[in-house]
Amino acid sequence: MQDLLYFIQQLINGLTIGSTYALIAIGYTMVYGIIGMINFAHGEIYMIGAYTALIAITGLAALGIAWLPLILIVALVCAMIVSSSMGWAVERVAYRPVRGKHRLIPLISAIGMSIFLQNYVHLAQGSRNIGFPALIEGGFRFGAEDSFQTSISYMQVTIFVTTLVCMTILSLFISRSRIGRACRAVSQDLGMANLLGIDTNRIISATFVIGAALAAVAGLLLGMYYGSIDPLFGFIAGLKAFTAAVLGGIGSIPGAMLGGLILGVAESMTSGYLSGEYKDVVSFGLLILILLFKPTGLLGKPEVEKI
Amino acid sequence: MAAHNLKHALFCAIVTLIISYPILGFNLASEGTTVTLEGAKTSTVVGVLLAAVIVFLFQLFRDTLMGSLRQLPAVNPLTNRKPMEQSKRLKLDSVLLTLMIIGALIWPFIASRGAVDLSTLVLIYIMLALGLNVVVGLAGLLDLGYVAFYAVGAYTFALLSQYYGVSFWFALPIGALLAALFGLVLGFPVLRLRGDYLAIVTLGFGEIIRILLNNMTNLTGGPNGIGGIPDPTLFGMEFGRRVKEEGNTSFHETFGIAYSGEHKVIFLYLIALVLAVITAIAIRRLMRMPVGRAWEALREDEIAAKSLGLNRTAVKLSAFTIGAFFAGFAGTVFASKQGFISPESFVFLESAIILAIVVLGGMGSQMGVILAAIAVTILPELAREFSEYRMLIFGAAMVLMMVWRPQGLLPMRRIHIELKKQE
Amino acid sequence: MRTPVKKLVSAVATSIAVMGAGQAAAEIKIGIAGPMTGPVAQYGDMQFSGASMAIEQINANGGVMGEKLVGVEQDDVCDPKQAVTVANNMVNEGVRFVVGHLCSSSTQPASDIYEDEGILMVTPASTSPDITERGYELVFRTIGLDSMQGPVAANYLISQKPERVAVVHDKQQYGEGIATAVRDTLEEGGVEVAMFEGITAGAKDFSSLVTKLRQADVDYVYYGGYHPELGLILRQAQQADLDATFMGPEGVGNKDINTIAGDAAEGLLVTLPPSFDEKDENQELVQAFEEKGEDPSGPFVLTSYTAVQLIADGIEAAESTDPFDVAEALRAGTFQTPIGTVEYDGKGDMESFEFVVYEWHSDGSKTPVN
Repeated sequence: MQDLLYFIQQLINGLTIGSTYALIAIGYTMVYGIIGMINFAHGEIYMIGAYTALIAITGLAALGIAWLPLILIVALVCAMIVSSSMGWAVERVAYRPVRGKHRLIPLISAIGMSIFLQNYVHLAQGSRNIGFPALIEGGFRFGAEDSFQTSISYMQVTIFVTTLVCMTILSLFISRSRIGRACRAVSQDLGMANLLGIDTNRIISATFVIGAALAAVAGLLLGMYYGSIDPLFGFIAGLKAFTAAVLGGIGSIPGAMLGGLILGVAESMTSGYLSGEYKDVVSFGLLILILLFKPTGLLGKPEVEKI
Repeated sequence: MAAHNLKHALFCAIVTLIISYPILGFNLASEGTTVTLEGAKTSTVVGVLLAAVIVFLFQLFRDTLMGSLRQLPAVNPLTNRKPMEQSKRLKLDSVLLTLMIIGALIWPFIASRGAVDLSTLVLIYIMLALGLNVVVGLAGLLDLGYVAFYAVGAYTFALLSQYYGVSFWFALPIGALLAALFGLVLGFPVLRLRGDYLAIVTLGFGEIIRILLNNMTNLTGGPNGIGGIPDPTLFGMEFGRRVKEEGNTSFHETFGIAYSGEHKVIFLYLIALVLAVITAIAIRRLMRMPVGRAWEALREDEIAAKSLGLNRTAVKLSAFTIGAFFAGFAGTVFASKQGFISPESFVFLESAIILAIVVLGGMGSQMGVILAAIAVTILPELAREFSEYRMLIFGAAMVLMMVWRPQGLLPMRRIHIELKKQE
Repeated sequence: MRTPVKKLVSAVATSIAVMGAGQAAAEIKIGIAGPMTGPVAQYGDMQFSGASMAIEQINANGGVMGEKLVGVEQDDVCDPKQAVTVANNMVNEGVRFVVGHLCSSSTQPASDIYEDEGILMVTPASTSPDITERGYELVFRTIGLDSMQGPVAANYLISQKPERVAVVHDKQQYGEGIATAVRDTLEEGGVEVAMFEGITAGAKDFSSLVTKLRQADVDYVYYGGYHPELGLILRQAQQADLDATFMGPEGVGNKDINTIAGDAAEGLLVTLPPSFDEKDENQELVQAFEEKGEDPSGPFVLTSYTAVQLIADGIEAAESTDPFDVAEALRAGTFQTPIGTVEYDGKGDMESFEFVVYEWHSDGSKTPVN
């Protein structure tokens, strides 16, 4: 019984972290699906979202506002606005001028942007880890009183629910709305979509904005869940999320969700049953293994070579 | 049109404000045990506002500005020049290369110690970049974990010297061959992946190697790294103040000159130079051999290359292995130069920088890659004055370079046969 | 061998030597090497502020042997590669005494160069035992060793008679070194070490680790590493109701841990050098720091101050600016410094460096235990 509870606890830990990976991975996967580039700076946009949220929360606290829903909503909105603007600006400055060039060129541009943004925040806010207030505390417990109990915190519940809501809205948006339809059209054939009167530049900007907004949501949630932020943490999380996107099949939105969850659970099980040191080895090893047998990821469409 | 411009300019200015004001204008500070918010200095706020105004004006008059820029007589007199004739170019190329080598030979004797040491680092990066150039520039395989092979080379030497007392000269080929073997073993399964999938798998592989080095404390010393790696010797002569290994003599005593730390630095530099030249020449020859042609053919059009009977796997593997081989070379020299290595020298950023060198230099172009390696290594050192802004500038430079000159400093020009013009 | 190049070399060498001699008459250069940028820049700040304060004060009192000290500051970003570049720059600059480096992984490769070039190095912050294990003549430190600090912590834990202890570290030279020392001492003392595990420095998610600690049902958790990770572990442990007392080395004893962990930091045990800034005899110095708007309470401020002072005292005692003479004088003498009386053993470590167990509070203050 104890072992089972322990397993469930690690599973919950893994699913929580996995669902935030999925939120960040959406940004990678949508951009890749449309213009076929790896947006290395996406992790930094997530980090900037977290910083903005913290600035908003601290600011509200200084003003003496203590009503939790208001704080959360204001922080979320601020983070989303700043991150989306950043996403838009990054695309405009660093990616649009190099679009259509050899595929390494946008990649290098993106790595440069990532270094730039990291240092931008570093210079503005310092390199130290800053505490992030835990606004949502408490949780449920299962199991006998005096032995191992499985606990689910309200924060974890919030993360699940928010991720689910975001994913549902995004799926509806992509499948039903006009822009969503245009997104799909552009990802299938950019040139043709352009000919049919779709403003492709606008659609590409829109994907960056949507991805950045979701990253900002993840930034706020993870900031609260973990408890601190620093200018470098976006890069590591970005790398993980990108791995998740590839694992699930880059370009596919359900794939990003699946990839994120698998990666999160794999990590948590490794640290739970093996050792935390080997967490990253296992997640990258898993990625390599899956790609060897399914070269386009779990839910990716096989690439057809057109001649 | 003007109204549209105005709207766009206003939008851009607002975005500038949004992305800069919250981050720059408010500083999170920890006061005692709580986090507080401080307003930034007035100068920062004014700067942010100024930036927004500049963006606004630029976007507003963008068309006129760009138009007038275009109408300016070509500022760069080289823009419209005709490409040099191939025979001339090749000659110029070899003359330049010879001059560079001669210059590089004289350099350590006139430069200061710090400069020579930095030049050794430049040479190591040149070796790395030339090696990665084979993989990325010539064969078109995107490798984001190149640093793993570099680490294999460095650790091979460090471990061999620690456990078996193997000297630099024996470790050099072993390190390079072992790195090549790693390349072969890794390459075999992953090379059937395409493009960006290959990129992420190599990235993962690089990380795995680094984490394993960090975790296998018993063997590699884990985060403590390995110290006391010996310097190379010259026919059994050591360059240290005291002779460390029995049977060796010291350089300064043999020649009856006063001890100077510079001898060692210069000697290391010369070794790195020789190895870099060997790397450059070897790859230059390879490029003109059938295998080199096959790399480029595969990069240009895989299907066409396949239909001409090229063995895709063999060609890709050869590029991967040869690239890894030279990384192993560079790793051995690096270990010897540092005298101490630990896993933190082999992080992903290192791979990214080597890749940046290749792309900045112009993919496939050796001369360009050499120039870029010099620029990328030396610029941050020159920018030490800006210490804090160093990496910010580095990142911005990478982006700007890609936007303005995506083909690199010296783009590669293929050797071709010119048809005689018909009269 | 009489080539023009050789002539050139000797000409350059002589001119450098002449220049060096010319300057040496007027000033003594003290290199200060540490991180000004990068993730541990805040510890570097402590080092620079302590060392420059010492240089100012010594110069205000007439300098050393009538000569002024001049600080040469260099940024190594705590990157071993850059540390080697910095070390070579120091040689270039004609520096013969260095205060630094901060991170053990930078100090180690840099000290190879200093030793070869006859430069005396005093590190105010590197605690790895390896640094002084190599029989170098010119390497000193003004801080204790991981191998001293670990046993202090472990002995305290043993005295509390715990049933089970977990030892966690961040897989870095500093953290793993101390954690290993703690584990070994605990095992010798007959305490069961239920878990010995590494985490990734810079990671944020410790929910799995906390779950594991709960499962292992430990009384004490010793963490070897720095405050950012421990702060998160404390906080995530509190949220998961982990009922254990945490303990860490001086790398976690920083007010920043309170901004991260909040009230979860209450009751954390920390081994620290005694707070030099609270000693009566240092109050004048503390005041000087406060007048400059600097905070003297960081763990490396006064050790850096002491490093400069020891170099100055060593030069005076040896009546020579030759680093080898100074090293000899340092080994022979006894010095009164802000961090107490300093005597060196043959390796360049202090004969004694005291560590005290403190209890940390949620308002960032600390009280000595027992």
